[in-house]
Amino acid sequence: MSAFLQYVVNGLTSGAFIALVALGYTMIYGVIRLINFAHGDVLMVGSFIGYELVVTLAARHWPVALVVLLALVGGMAFTGGLGMLIERVAYQPLLNSSRLAILISALGVSLALEQGAQLIFGAGFSAFPSVLPSAGFSFAGAHASYVQLGMFVISVLLMGGLYLFVHKTMAGTAMRALAMDKDAARLMGINVQRTILLTFMLGSVLAGASGVMQGMYYTEINFFMGFLIGLRAFTAAVLGGIGNIPGAMVAGLLIGLIGSFSDGYISSEWSDAIIFAVLIAVLVFKPTGLFGERVAERV
Amino acid sequence: MADSGGLRRAIPSSPQARLAARGGLTVTASAVALLLPLLVSTYAMSVAVTVVTYAILGLGLNVVVGYAGLLDLGYAAFFAIGAYTSSMLQVYVHMSFWETLPAAVVAAAVSGCIIGYPTLRLRSDYLAIVTLGFGEIVRITVTNLSVTGGPNGLYGIPPASVFGTAIVSENGLYYLGLFFLLIAVVFTGLLSRSRLGRAWRTLREDETASEAVGVPATKVKLLAYVMGAMVGALAGMFFSAQFGTIDPTTFTFVTSVTILMVVIVGGMGSIPGMILGALIVVGLPEALRPISNYRLLIFALGLIVLMLVRPQGLWPARRSRRGSFTAPPAAREAPESPAAGRPQPGSLLLAVSGLQHSFGGVKAVDDVSFDLHAGEILSIIGPNGAGKTTVFNCITGMVTPQRGTVSMRGKQSLVKMKPHKVVSLGLARTFQGVRLFEGLDVAENCLVGLAAHQGRLLSRHGLLGRTSAQDRREALRWLAFVGLADQAHMLAAELSYGDRRRLEIARSLTSRPLALLLDEPAAGTNPTEKRKLMDLVRQVRDSGVTVLLIEHDMGVVMGLSDRVIVLDQGAVIAEGPPEHVRSDPHVIDAYLGRDEREATETVGEVPRRNS
Repeated sequence: MSAFLQYVVNGLTSGAFIALVALGYTMIYGVIRLINFAHGDVLMVGSFIGYELVVTLAARHWPVALVVLLALVGGMAFTGGLGMLIERVAYQPLLNSSRLAILISALGVSLALEQGAQLIFGAGFSAFPSVLPSAGFSFAGAHASYVQLGMFVISVLLMGGLYLFVHKTMAGTAMRALAMDKDAARLMGINVQRTILLTFMLGSVLAGASGVMQGMYYTEINFFMGFLIGLRAFTAAVLGGIGNIPGAMVAGLLIGLIGSFSDGYISSEWSDAIIFAVLIAVLVFKPTGLFGERVAERV
Repeated sequence: MADSGGLRRAIPSSPQARLAARGGLTVTASAVALLLPLLVSTYAMSVAVTVVTYAILGLGLNVVVGYAGLLDLGYAAFFAIGAYTSSMLQVYVHMSFWETLPAAVVAAAVSGCIIGYPTLRLRSDYLAIVTLGFGEIVRITVTNLSVTGGPNGLYGIPPASVFGTAIVSENGLYYLGLFFLLIAVVFTGLLSRSRLGRAWRTLREDETASEAVGVPATKVKLLAYVMGAMVGALAGMFFSAQFGTIDPTTFTFVTSVTILMVVIVGGMGSIPGMILGALIVVGLPEALRPISNYRLLIFALGLIVLMLVRPQGLWPARRSRRGSFTAPPAAREAPESPAAGRPQPGSLLLAVSGLQHSFGGVKAVDDVSFDLHAGEILSIIGPNGAGKTTVFNCITGMVTPQRGTVSMRGKQSLVKMKPHKVVSLGLARTFQGVRLFEGLDVAENCLVGLAAHQGRLLSRHGLLGRTSAQDRREALRWLAFVGLADQAHMLAAELSYGDRRRLEIARSLTSRPLALLLDEPAAGTNPTEKRKLMDLVRQVRDSGVTVLLIEHDMGVVMGLSDRVIVLDQGAVIAEGPPEHVRSDPHVIDAYLGRDEREATETVGEVPRRNS
C-alpha cells in the first residue's frame, strides 16, 4: 500500500510536468493542425535557461526562493519568445503549404535546437545545483517532499490560469474560434497571425515552466531531454483528444501515473512501450481519444 | 546524380524530347551508380551503401506516405522487423541470407496488417502517433528480449553470398544494395501504375468520395501498409548483411524521421525523388564532415530553408499524361450494360421501410418508407433540412440508420453495409457538393468507377493489375455518354461547373449501377446547363439505369419525374405523380408555410450540410 501511494505521488508529479507540455501540443495542433515536434526541445531550452540562472544566481548567494522564482520566470519568458520566433520563421510561411512540409520544418527546428544546445552546453549531462530543500512529509508510508507539492501546485495553477484565459478572455475565444474554423474566424475580424503567435507563446511558456521545474526536480538535464518528454506529452495530448485542453491536462496526469506504476511494478525499460500500448488500445476503442476532440472534423 | 536537379531544369518541354532527356538522365545516373566504386574512396563507398539503404527505405515509406497519403512516423519498425527476422533465422536456424528473404518479407507484411488494422478508423494525425507508438514498441521489445540479443543486439550474422562468393567488401555490398534498390524501384513503380495505385490516389484526394464510387477503402489502406512494410523488410535484410551485427539503436524514432525526411525532401510520390532524397538526407551530413561540430546544425537549418523554398520536395511526382485517350467514339450511346442481372422494368429494385435517424436531438429522418422500381425516375423533394440527403446517406451506407430497413431487390439488406459494397451491388451516387478527385485527370476519375468490380487483389481484373485497354475504352465510352470525351485528358479541377457535374455522373455510371442516386444535380447550374442535364438524366434512364433524384428545382423535378416523394422535417408528407403532388395542400404548406410566421422560418433556414 505504501509503495502504491508512493507511485501515485511520483506519478502525479511527473504527470503534472507532462500535462504542461501536452497543453502546448494540443493548443498548437488546435490552431494550425501541426504536431509541433520542436515543442519538447523548447522545453529543453527552458530547462537550460533555468539552469544558467540558478548557477549564476546561487553563486552570488541570493535567497533560494528568489533564485527559484527568477529561474522559473526567466525560463518561461525565454521560451515564450523562442516559441514565437519559431512560429514566425519556420511555420508561418508554410501555413498554406502541405502539412507534411510544415512537419518536416518542425523536425528541422527540433534538430536545430538540439544541435545548438549541444554546441553551447555540451553533449553530457549538466547537474542542476541542488538549491531546493529536500524536507517533506510522510503519510500512510509514502513520502512527498514540499518541493513536489509546490511544483504540483504551480503546475495546477498554470493550467487553471490557461483554462480561464482560453475560456474567459477575448483572446482565448479568438483562439478557440480559430481552432474551429480559420476562415470564418478571419472573416469575423480575428487577427489570425497574432492569435497563432499568442498560442505559440502560451504553449512555449508552459513548456518552459515544465522544463525549469523538471531540471530542478530530476537535477540532471541534457540537450536530448526534450525528445522523451515530448514523446510522452504528445501521447498525452492525443490520449486526451487532440485539441481538447482539459483532456490534455487529465491525460498528462494519467500518463505520469501509468509511467510511475510501470516503473515501480514492472520495469522502467518497458514503461514507454506500455504507455504506447495503452494509447493504441484507447484509440482502437475511442478513435478521438479519451475525452473526444474539440476540433471540428472537416468533411 | 548529385547534379540531377540541374539536369532536370534543362529538360525540354516537348513530350518526345522530354522522354529522350529522361531516358538519357536515367542512363547517365545508372552508369554513374554502376561505376561509382571506380571513382571514389572506400569510405565514400560505405556512405554510398547507407544512401542505398535509405533510398530503399524511402521507396517503401513513399508507398504509405506518398501514394496513399497516410502519415507514418514509425516506419523504422518494418526496417527492424526485416533485419531481425533475417538475422535471427541466419544466426539460430543457420538459414542462408537468401533463404530468409520470404520470411523477412512475410513477417513485415504481417506486422503491416497488425499496425494497419486497428488504426484504419483513425484520421491522419492519430495515425501518426499510433505508428510512432508502434515503432517505439518494436524498438523497446527488441531491446529487452534476450532472443533478439537485448541492447547489444545480434552478432555473428554471416555475410550474404552470391554464387558461392561471400559479399564482404564495401563494393560488393554496394552492388548487392543496388540489386535490392532495383527490386524496390520496379516494385513500387508497378504499384503506382496499378489500379491499387489509382485507388490510393483517390483515397488521398477524398476518402468519402472514393468509397462512394466503390473503392474498398479499408482494404486499400491496409495494403498500403503491407506493401510499404515489405519494401522496408528488404532494406532490413540488406542492412543485416552489412556489418555482421545489428542492434536496436539503428531502429529508433530518429531513423523513422530520417526516412520521412528522405520522402519529403525528395518529393512525395516520386521514385527518382527518393534516390535524390536519400542522397541529400544521408549524404549531405557526411559531406559536411569537415565541419563536424556544426554539420547537423547546418543540416537542420538547411532542411527548414528547403521546406520554405520548395515545400513540394526537390523532385516531386509529376502527373503522367500517358493515357491513350485519343479517339473518342462518335456515338453518344450508352455502353452496353450488363444485361445479365438487369431487373425487369417495373420490378421492385429498392425498398426502404421505416427508416429513422437522428443527429443529437434532431430527427433528420423519421419513419420514411418508399419503393424504387426499375426503370423509373423517382424524385425526393422537400425544404432544406427535410432529411433528403440523410436518406441518401442511409441507403448508400455512409450513415447507419438507427432504425428501419433498406433492401435491394427484395432480399439483400443494405443496412450496415460499407459504401463500396453498396456500389458493387449496383447503387451509385453523386454528392450535393460535387466531389471529384481534383488532382486526377478526367479519364482517371472515371476509371475509378471501375473499382467497384475490381476489389479483389489477385484476379486478372483485380487491384494489382494495370489498367487494361478495355478499362480505358469503358471509361471513355461513359465520358462520351455524358459529353466529356474531349476533356478526358484535363485535370478534374480544370473543368467548368456544369462539366464537373457531368463527370461525377459519368464516374458513377462507370461502376455500371442498376440505380443512380443523384443529389441535387441541378444546383447552381444555369438554364442551358439545366436543360442539358435533364436530357442526360433521361438518357441515363433510357439506358436502363433507374434514377433516384433529390432536387430543389421544381422545373427539373416536374419535367423529369415519374413519381415524386415529398419530405418535410424527416417524414414523408406526400407521394405520387408530379401533377398530383404539386396540388397537394400539405406540400404547399411545407414549401410556403401556413402563415407569415412559419413562412419566415422556412425562408430563414440555413441549408444544412449533411455530407
